[in-house]
Amino acid sequence: MHIMEGYLPAFWCIIWYVIMIPIVGYGIYQIKKITEEYPETKALVAVSGAFMFVLSSLKMPSVTGSCSHPCGNGLGVALFGPAITGVLATIVLLFQALLLAHGGLTTLGANCVSMGIIGPFVGWIVFKGCNKVGLNTKVNIFLTAFLADIITYLVTSIQLALAFPLPSFAAAFPKFFIIFMPTQLPLAIAEGLLTVIVWNGLIAYKPEVLEKLNAITPQKA
Amino acid sequence: MEFDIDFIAHTNRIADYNPYVKVIGSILLVLSALFINNNYYSIFIIIVSSLLLLALARVSLKDYVKFLTIPFAFTFLTCIFMLFFFPSGAYIWNSGFFGIGITTESLRVSLLTFFRVFACFSALGFMSLTTPITDVMSVLRTFYVPQIFCEIAVLMYNAIFIFLDNITVMRNAQKTRLGYLGGYIDSMKSFGSMFSNLFLISLEKSETLQRTLDSRCYTGELPVYKPDRSKDTYPELVS
Repeated sequence: MHIMEGYLPAFWCIIWYVIMIPIVGYGIYQIKKITEEYPETKALVAVSGAFMFVLSSLKMPSVTGSCSHPCGNGLGVALFGPAITGVLATIVLLFQALLLAHGGLTTLGANCVSMGIIGPFVGWIVFKGCNKVGLNTKVNIFLTAFLADIITYLVTSIQLALAFPLPSFAAAFPKFFIIFMPTQLPLAIAEGLLTVIVWNGLIAYKPEVLEKLNAITPQKA
Repeated sequence: MEFDIDFIAHTNRIADYNPYVKVIGSILLVLSALFINNNYYSIFIIIVSSLLLLALARVSLKDYVKFLTIPFAFTFLTCIFMLFFFPSGAYIWNSGFFGIGITTESLRVSLLTFFRVFACFSALGFMSLTTPITDVMSVLRTFYVPQIFCEIAVLMYNAIFIFLDNITVMRNAQKTRLGYLGGYIDSMKSFGSMFSNLFLISLEKSETLQRTLDSRCYTGELPVYKPDRSKDTYPELVS
């Protein structure tokens, strides 16, 4: 669940936009550099963005029967790195606001910081770190997707608590986080499992694609 | 799987009107509701944008209600939650239970938030229900949003619908082969393998897309033919 349109007061919308724009700008700069060097990557980036959107707009099988959507940012960051994921997440959030009425334009900055920047970035650090240590790839991917999801909601609760410090930030933050956890914890685990299954499929059928994207080192394939 | 909002955006009465007016107008409505932040003004915005959508764009009431249902449900829940669990100020009603209760401040904030979200959503609806995405992107382009961003967004938009078709086909194929049956883990497996397959298909598609674009001299713009609906010669097929 993203922060709804109009839910944040104007002041915080601006703050999160100010934080988001330079980072996404850097991502756009990166994409521009890559596409100028290799023009054929433009379609690849676009199609992967569409993949992220479709992944996040489909219902995942869920234990409780409630509707739940995978974030897809863990998979995105493992495949493309944080800069490109940030830009793709921005477009995905924009489309979700316009096509599905999830999230919104004024809260795009806040949602982008949590879902497109900080969550994936933490996931990416975990992914790279575990790769260095030489942890089992399955465990690694699970952790990446799981943490990217949890951190996304951690940041969202920080954002909500900052916007509604009732009575104070310190009192509001744990409340928001506790409310998210019972729904998000099983979801994050489910997303982790799902990402592992997707990853296994990719490795089983076309490991050379992942090597091309620099996601796995050749000797591990 | 289809996007009703996208369908409405292409078929409403003012789909072909100047997108600048629609996008800027709707953003101004959203921003004014956000900055003025007043219950009466929010209600005014809700009424104005609902009237614009229902009377001017002729979006059917059923579709409009459908558009608002999910945001409404979420907002309602979060505001109820804020009303009871964030005590500050004097108590109006106290359950005597970990300080859960309605207070003057929480009542004020949750009411304010509720109407503000609602106003912003109906104003956003004016944009998303009347303006196709390609038009929104061309407007964004003139606001100095980097070209590569808009290009990728338009290409993504095209790819999304191809994927949705693929997903329907693959899901049916899986279901006829007993996918999604059995326990939770089994349906997760079906879902996951569908997505890894979709990702591989998408890589192939991206190569094809690149070749098609290259062979048609793509330079970062997808010109789309737009019929002038205001002309008499335009067949009245959709209305």
